[in-house]
Amino acid sequence: MSDYVVSLLVRIGVEAFVALSAYLLLVIGRISFGQQAFFVIGGYAAGISTALYGAPLPIGIIVGALAAGLAAALFAGAMARAGGIYFAAGSLARGELARVALLSFHHQVPVGADLTGPAGADGFRGIRALFTSGMSVTAYMVAIWGLLALTFLAIALLLRSRWGEAIRMVGEDETAAAAVGVRVGRVAGLTMVGAGALAGMGGGLFAHYATYLEPGHADVMLGVHSLAYAFIGGLGTPLGPIIGVAFDIGLLESFRFLAGYRMIIFGGLVMALLVLRPRGLLDEVTVHRVTRRLAGRRA
Amino acid sequence: MLAIERLSKQFGGVKAVQHVDLDVRQNEILGLIGPNGSGKSTIVNLVTGVFPPTEGRVRFKDGDITGWPPHRVLAAGVGRTFQSIRLFGGLTVWQNLWVAQNAQSEGGRGVLRRWLAVDRASMTKIEATLEFCRLLDKKDELASNLAFGDQRRLELARTLAAEPDLLLLDEPAAGMNAAEIEDLRERLLALKRRGKTIVLIEHHMELVMTVAERVAVLNFGQKIAEGRPAAVQDDERVREAYLGQRR
Ligand SMILES: Nc1ncnc2c1ncn2[C@@H]1O[C@H](COP(=O)(O)OP(=O)(O)O)[C@@H](O)[C@H]1O
Ligand SMILES: [Mg+2]
Repeated sequence: MSDYVVSLLVRIGVEAFVALSAYLLLVIGRISFGQQAFFVIGGYAAGISTALYGAPLPIGIIVGALAAGLAAALFAGAMARAGGIYFAAGSLARGELARVALLSFHHQVPVGADLTGPAGADGFRGIRALFTSGMSVTAYMVAIWGLLALTFLAIALLLRSRWGEAIRMVGEDETAAAAVGVRVGRVAGLTMVGAGALAGMGGGLFAHYATYLEPGHADVMLGVHSLAYAFIGGLGTPLGPIIGVAFDIGLLESFRFLAGYRMIIFGGLVMALLVLRPRGLLDEVTVHRVTRRLAGRRA
Repeated sequence: MLAIERLSKQFGGVKAVQHVDLDVRQNEILGLIGPNGSGKSTIVNLVTGVFPPTEGRVRFKDGDITGWPPHRVLAAGVGRTFQSIRLFGGLTVWQNLWVAQNAQSEGGRGVLRRWLAVDRASMTKIEATLEFCRLLDKKDELASNLAFGDQRRLELARTLAAEPDLLLLDEPAAGMNAAEIEDLRERLLALKRRGKTIVLIEHHMELVMTVAERVAVLNFGQKIAEGRPAAVQDDERVREAYLGQRR
């Protein structure tokens, strides 16, 4: 496999975590422009634990996810009850807050001969746990996709459970959900924490692939794109956002002859879909039809 | 069974409900009527914890449930339907009932399993409720694909799934045709035979007057009359309230 294809697959895999994160929030009816905040928090936390404190790579990834989950819990504590434009605006502010905070975040410690750690606007260099572990980049890419497959399965199972049903009910109508016994605040809050942890996991995985992170990685475009991925692929299944990422990065960005037109096609597609299929290609109705047909064949 | 005491709710300058006292007796069907905007839906929202009252208490089965959150009110045994249909359109008919079912029986063994998969016992109960509401053949349809009358029936089924003892039905016949109303009348009487207590908010007078043992009348957030249907119908103030609206 060429280095280029591997790097493409790593990027699709990593962004799929952020897309799934934004997707989970859409399922509870919240629009977030700020999941990139948890992406960088997870990345920085994972990088700090491996590069500065010598944690093994898998532990680092877990630390990143936990840190992002914790940050999401703090945010959820303040925003779980806010809906609609208030939540969206809050998430946007949070994304920018993370970016600006990182600009002045310095935490460097001597590792070997050098100082390593976040250095404000200069970013965080030397996150080398992947390369010192001797794992090949291809193996890492496969590991990312393995993790993504597990995450996908877990979310798909969750959404088919009664828990998942409660989550979808909150997304459709909070008052009605409460009336059938759903604890809306708790369900929304826990979903936000899980979504934050997912984005954080993506951040940790990315940090160790790129070996460095900078505040610019919390750019709002990452949040906007991950939101759009779910709207392209569809809200009916967690496969939707993954399809969205694969389409954007795999097709639009990788084909040379599309160079320069990517954002035009991407933006145009998002607009067309919002009009023609407001809940994406694989929306709830389509997914329901397909699963019924499959079930019918089995019976 | 349900005792509402001096219940009041103010929205900004609007006094939606003012010092309403109301007793609902075990196993009765109580009609709650009144012109549009007289505070009927607000009372349902106050009892079920959608928002807290400005003043007053709500007691249910000798316990004070004032200000309880909706899931606790439901678990205590009070279910409600919505005046404007509020189904979960992206879920199938049986899925609309799945979460509500078991709302009263949280905790204990097998909780995790019950949350992760549909067990046989739950499905049997869901199917019985759907059968009762004549929706069993539409079990796997998406709620958003149902005809209007079926959506109304699903609202009732979803509330029944939680097996509440007291049902607060907010205009369940709105938009129904004559045959559907006849069917609803039968369901209501059958529910009463099963021991349920029902508060029926309705504009369809013929339905209220034939199924309710007692009727309470609201006007501008205040209770203006209460008693047997025939007596209430002849009440001077009730006539005024309705004529006043018509004019
Ligand atoms: N959530 C709310 N916020 C503000 N005003 C409300 C709200 N709910 C009801 N009202 C007002 O309270 C009054 C009573 O409304 P409602 O209880 O819906 O009447 P009814 O169900 O008898 O038609 C109306 O004036 C209505 O506009
Ligand atoms: Mg009303």
